[in-house]
Amino acid sequence: MPLIAGSADLILLFFAAWSLQEKVKNSWLWAAIAGILISIVSAMPFFAPLIGYMGVVGISKLLQKRVWRIPIIAMFIVTLLGTFFQQALYLLVLQISGAPLTWGESFDTVMLPSVLLNLIFALPIYAVASELVGRIYPLEADV
Amino acid sequence: MKFLNSKNIQTIVIILTVSGLLFLALSGYLTPIFNLSLNPLIALQRWLSVRYISARDFLTTPRDVVELREQNAALEVQVNQLQTELIVMEERLGEAQVCFALLDFGRTNPEYDYIAATVIGREISPFLQYIIIDKGTEDGVRFGMPVVTQQGLVGRVDAIIARASRIKLISDSTSVVNIRLQSAGIEAQLEGSLTGDVFLDMIPLDANVEPGDVVLTSGLGGNFPPNIFVGQVLSTQSRENALFQTASVQPIVDFSSINAVLVVSNFEAVDISPLIPEE
Repeated sequence: MPLIAGSADLILLFFAAWSLQEKVKNSWLWAAIAGILISIVSAMPFFAPLIGYMGVVGISKLLQKRVWRIPIIAMFIVTLLGTFFQQALYLLVLQISGAPLTWGESFDTVMLPSVLLNLIFALPIYAVASELVGRIYPLEADV
Repeated sequence: MKFLNSKNIQTIVIILTVSGLLFLALSGYLTPIFNLSLNPLIALQRWLSVRYISARDFLTTPRDVVELREQNAALEVQVNQLQTELIVMEERLGEAQVCFALLDFGRTNPEYDYIAATVIGREISPFLQYIIIDKGTEDGVRFGMPVVTQQGLVGRVDAIIARASRIKLISDSTSVVNIRLQSAGIEAQLEGSLTGDVFLDMIPLDANVEPGDVVLTSGLGGNFPPNIFVGQVLSTQSRENALFQTASVQPIVDFSSINAVLVVSNFEAVDISPLIPEE
């Protein structure tokens, strides 16, 4: 769903939400797998999506320890920072490979719309991820 | 005179009376009397009939309602099935129309061989303009082959695997296509941008470019065949102290809704990089 030239990245949002869950310990592995698969399909240089998703997981883990009482706020912060991190990484890599892209135009036409779309979808994706974690990691019953 | 006793006379009188009445009835003389006597009976029959029908409906409605509901449910299921089939048929009709258009393009440009392909994916990153098609090396697609539709130029094959290929669109920011303006008779370069818009660069300052001018590939550089329709000029821009004019172009192909493409299989792109002097 494009807005100007930006688009929502549901995979990024899912990994942000997944990594914020306390019970989840192996989000790095899944982010690496997703990054490799996306790198195979995407025209971006191979390592860019991989580093992007691993960076989002890293930001999630950092914030999880600091904003653990308000997970939804943490989700929005991770979405904001993660999107900027990923888009800046993509832009930097493309500039190094010779694409005629400027920071100003990229910020206005791609980054900001992408952040807006990701923030819109952040809450539903967080709800889905929380539900999924509840089913995969059920609460232990007290004996 | 034993025959004319009271019993026989009674019988004769009855016969004569009945015959007389029949004669009068058949002659129509008794019609007013019949109407007068039947009217109350008809009113009574109507009154009884209305009550009977009401009572019958009251007693049989529950069974009818159940039957009607069952029939309604069955009809709704049938309607849903037919609607689903209609959607499928409409989609197939759309696909068939696209294929007919591509086939027509192939017939009007018989000098090239084509491999028809369906678009199965798009680039995930918003910085790039690529599509993925369902034909690869097993189908004869090779790196650098031009890709067109029945309307015009789409792009070039950028990466391939056995059963899929990635196409760089002409609207990608790193895409450069050598073009020719048909009416002005000049050559320029078509470049993509971050937003997916395309524009012309390196138009000589003295060139007279008008909105609506047709943009075709020139064939220079060896990357695309010549005379493929690219788009039309929307507007021109010239700045002071600039070496060239620029112009914005409306591409003839709508890249956001593209579903099927043709890969030009018998056009070999020429690699001129060895001829370019190193800086």
